[in-house]
Amino acid sequence: MSMLNVENIQKSFGKNEILKNISFSLEKGEVLGIIGSSGSGKTTLLRCLNFLETPQKGKIIVNGNELFDGEKQGKYSEAQIRKNRLHFGLVFQQFNLFPQYKVFDNITLAPLLAAKEQLKDNGSYMGVSTYKEAVQIINDYAELLLKRVGLSDKKDSYPCNLSGGQQQRVAIARALSLNPDILCFDEPTSALDPELTGEVLNVIKGLKSSDSTMIVVTHEIGFAHDVADKIIFMNDGVIAEQGTPQEVIDNPQNPRTQAFLSRFKQFGD
Amino acid sequence: MNQFANVTQQLLKGFGENSFIFIITLLAALPLGFIVSFGSRSPFAPLKLLTKGLVWIIRGTPLMLQLFVVFYVPPLLSGGAFNFSRINAALIAFIINYAAYFSEIFRGGIEAIPKGQYEAGQVLGLKRSQIFFKIILLQVIKRITAPIGNEIITLVKDTSLASVIAIPEILMNAKDFSMQGLIWPLFYSAIFFLLFCGILTLLFSYVEKRLNYYKG
Repeated sequence: MSMLNVENIQKSFGKNEILKNISFSLEKGEVLGIIGSSGSGKTTLLRCLNFLETPQKGKIIVNGNELFDGEKQGKYSEAQIRKNRLHFGLVFQQFNLFPQYKVFDNITLAPLLAAKEQLKDNGSYMGVSTYKEAVQIINDYAELLLKRVGLSDKKDSYPCNLSGGQQQRVAIARALSLNPDILCFDEPTSALDPELTGEVLNVIKGLKSSDSTMIVVTHEIGFAHDVADKIIFMNDGVIAEQGTPQEVIDNPQNPRTQAFLSRFKQFGD
Repeated sequence: MNQFANVTQQLLKGFGENSFIFIITLLAALPLGFIVSFGSRSPFAPLKLLTKGLVWIIRGTPLMLQLFVVFYVPPLLSGGAFNFSRINAALIAFIINYAAYFSEIFRGGIEAIPKGQYEAGQVLGLKRSQIFFKIILLQVIKRITAPIGNEIITLVKDTSLASVIAIPEILMNAKDFSMQGLIWPLFYSAIFFLLFCGILTLLFSYVEKRLNYYKG
């Protein structure tokens, strides 16, 4: 059983069909790189997985649980959608940190609210039964995450006092705070100055391990080649080619993929 | 000196009316405007249109006319059976008028928050109400402090319009003195407004400073 199965996803905005019958699967611990030109539907696909957009057709299945089926359109309650979203984490192109909260509070805000809710509903959160214990767990984890993204010394800073690269690293820690099954990145370095992309890409590389499953939409072809186990090349709303980085990037078969990649190779990548 | 004390007392008494209208209007119009701003942003078209229409009427007609309407129209229509007291009529007109202006400021402030802030809250599994109160609201407050402050200072001076339905507020009392040949109380009354607005200005700059700990 794959960790993620996406089946026949179709999404239109008005008459404009952005995703046409997208299907793929992902195993636990795999990193999927999605490449393709602007407007090919990469971001929309990621937004559908995070339930920020609702596809018209198709299924999204995580660990064998069907989270979404286009046939049952409109039957999902807000509570259900909120629960579905927790399977995925999303790192945005524009970071979207909460400006009024310190770095540390950006990371702990959502888990603290979740803890309060779960303690009220079930009387337990991550195996503890009091809010005080939950806060301890959440704070410890936030410290750990900050260490992983190399920003322990910035925990009391406000986002406006950080560089773009640092903000994006905080956003990564925040996305990990709820332990999502699959962490998604939507062009995580596109809003950064070139000299800041390296630190963010290194953090993402550092997250790769046997139990972290990731989907990275990116224009950094070299990075995708290094970090991904599987590459999807999207063109005009369809998956034009997929396979290992060696297959898709080093040895593309589809003329569209070849044309797209040749534009990068011109500059020596 | 006796005359000065007498004038001061009369003007202070009048300014008590102004302050009363000011405070009650503020306390009621801020939350009411907040609610109205949701009406004018409603995805339900009839509600949105209705709200926008009402805001248009309130903002498109003079406050003085609205004071007349609230005070004189109910007794005329009911043959004298129903009427508001002068102060109640004034409060109703001021609250509705200012709620309309505040609602537009709130709407502008809420719409200025980037969509990404909502989406960041959504992907973290937050409820709509949590997103609004924990993430959006403070950012809105920061953005609207200056325009709201502007509007509140206008309200201080607008309260003297209540004199058109014979509420004995400060300017009316000052004018009474001028009719007895005493001109200076008119200028003296300006000092009351200047002091009041000065205090408010200090208060708003304090709030702005307090919210300056972050940018964005």
